[in-house]
Amino acid sequence: MTIGINEFIIASSLLFLIGFMGVLLRRNTLIIYMSLELMLNAVNLALVAFSRFNQAMDGAIFVFFIMTVAAAEVAVGLAIIVMLFRKKQTVSVDELNQLKG
Amino acid sequence: MDILTILLIILFTPLVASLVIILIGKERRKWAPAIALLGSIGILISTTGLFLESQEFSYQYSWEWLSFGENTFYLGFVFDNIGATMLAMVSIVSLCITVFSMGYMSDDPARGRYFAGLSFFMFSMLGIILSSNLIMIFLFWELVGFSSYLLIGHYFDKNEARQASQKAFIVNRIGDFGFLIGIILTYWQFGTTNLEAIAGAVGVDASLISHLIGGLLICGFIGKSAQFPLHVWLPDAMAGPTPVSALIHAATMVAAGIYLLIRIDCLLTLEVLTFIAYLGTFVAVYAGFCAFAQKDIKRILAYSTLSQLGYMAAILGLGYSGIALFHLITHAFFKALLFLGAGAVIHACHHEQSIDKMGGLFKKMPITATSFIIGTLALCGVYGLSGFYSKDAILIAALDSNFQLFLLLILGAFLTAGYMGRLIWTVFLGKANSENADHAHEVSPIMSGPLIVLTLFAVLVGLNHYWPFGLGGIVSLDLDHLHHLEHYKSMHKTVLIWGSAAWIVGLLGSLLFYGRGSKADRLQDKAPKLYAFLESRLWMDELYAFYVNKIQQRLADILSFLDEVLLRGFIIRGGAGLVGVLGVGLRILQVGRLNAYYLWFFVGLILLWLYAAS
Repeated sequence: MTIGINEFIIASSLLFLIGFMGVLLRRNTLIIYMSLELMLNAVNLALVAFSRFNQAMDGAIFVFFIMTVAAAEVAVGLAIIVMLFRKKQTVSVDELNQLKG
Repeated sequence: MDILTILLIILFTPLVASLVIILIGKERRKWAPAIALLGSIGILISTTGLFLESQEFSYQYSWEWLSFGENTFYLGFVFDNIGATMLAMVSIVSLCITVFSMGYMSDDPARGRYFAGLSFFMFSMLGIILSSNLIMIFLFWELVGFSSYLLIGHYFDKNEARQASQKAFIVNRIGDFGFLIGIILTYWQFGTTNLEAIAGAVGVDASLISHLIGGLLICGFIGKSAQFPLHVWLPDAMAGPTPVSALIHAATMVAAGIYLLIRIDCLLTLEVLTFIAYLGTFVAVYAGFCAFAQKDIKRILAYSTLSQLGYMAAILGLGYSGIALFHLITHAFFKALLFLGAGAVIHACHHEQSIDKMGGLFKKMPITATSFIIGTLALCGVYGLSGFYSKDAILIAALDSNFQLFLLLILGAFLTAGYMGRLIWTVFLGKANSENADHAHEVSPIMSGPLIVLTLFAVLVGLNHYWPFGLGGIVSLDLDHLHHLEHYKSMHKTVLIWGSAAWIVGLLGSLLFYGRGSKADRLQDKAPKLYAFLESRLWMDELYAFYVNKIQQRLADILSFLDEVLLRGFIIRGGAGLVGVLGVGLRILQVGRLNAYYLWFFVGLILLWLYAAS
């Protein structure tokens, strides 16, 4: 059996759904963060698949940009989470609700 | 010195005196009378200087005041025969009253404020007299109203005085509103407010004047000269110190309304003049009746002033503005004399003002009583005294033009003699009716001096052919016109008989009816209903109270309701409420959990997507 574009789309959709549900349901900031990364990578997978399918390099190039931005984002985001933990002694989003109106 | 300099000195001397009194601070009480006196003497001297300098009484000067767009407004002086005559009268009367005030107010702790106000009033009054255009007249017109307000409210710790000062100010404001609109319309019609230019324009094209402009301009006169229906403030204004009543509310300020009419004579149509004539006659008779039901000596004199202003208005309305000026001048002297006499009586009786509680004062205060009686006789028009000449001229002119008015004015003269007779018989004859009157004694020379001077004027000022410096040109002009009328001789005889009959019957009748030094008012005893009717003064005050409380207040309530409900309730509160409800709804979304916000974000994204897709 050959793996076609459909399988890639299904896999990428599943990954994205897992990431989405992770952000929606989990309480731990780090897990939420990992779920976010999962969604980004699901998008990357879909882009690479489409790039291959269309025999064009545009999608592959876009993936590099996303990876770069994601790396930078992780660097900043993790730093924020560390600082938050130092200040609040927690990383649960349930307790991080100071801006509630 | 040139005329402009002297005019400026005359105008600003009292203002400077007033400012100096205010600025010297603590020493004010000691020096105020002296400074005010210096100011008055300064006015008199510079006025005399002006008369010597200016032989012809024809001087105009104006300078630009405000200029915007194509409109330019000017301030300016006019010094003509009418103004000069007024100036002479005001400077003499105000000097007498200032001297009298030094005695009358000697034990008043607020002398400084009083004399500053008095000087300020003189500044304003001189401003009206010297103004050459309507706008400048209006400026000083308002200043006069303001100083009148200040001085009526001198005893501001008394509720009566406070209310009277506000009443005077507000009632005058109503008249002045019409006056101001009249000035604006005049400017619109003529492109200038300079009185000489207007007179010239009217002379060329008489169709320029209209009932509307004339009718609005005389509103100022009706307010300031206290004519019906805005007369209600003048009797109440007697709450001020008596010299103030003499200067402002008898001799000068209320006469300013007549002076204004003389100035704007050319702007008044025949119908407006006829209206003034009937209005004046009505007031002359109406005020005469009202005076019978008053017990306060000053209020009787106030109604007498109203009645005499009515005479001036009546004759002016008949077209003889010169005779109106003549009566204005004679009236100013004898009415100032009467008020100062009343002031002396009140001072001697320890501020007792009710005539029922006086009596027998002739023996105790011979100088005051004699001068007061001479003033009364002048007011009644007894032959040979000043009032005779002007009233005689008024009656002849009335007989010539309108017989109904003549009869009413004769009735007015009879009433004048009646209530003045009641006043002097009750106050000066008989026996003292109260302890205060019993202890009364003649006032000091500083107060009796001005009385004597004014008595001389009250006797002699009617001889207008002997006025110095050729004053009173317009008066002689109108009198000559009268003398050359057909049937002048027979009319003069008629008036002499009727006029003399009026005062003789009035004075003797009141003596017989009221008796000497009576304790209680006989009219009140014999005909209480008639007395109550006269005392009600046609219920004008009640009518105004009804109007303000019931009608105006209702309208204000409706407007206030609209404001509360529509503006405040509906638009302002309603708008705030709407935003508030929206806020409550939106606040539900703010649950304070990151996951929820994430969900809202997702929902929003889907909605946006749906919107973009549709």
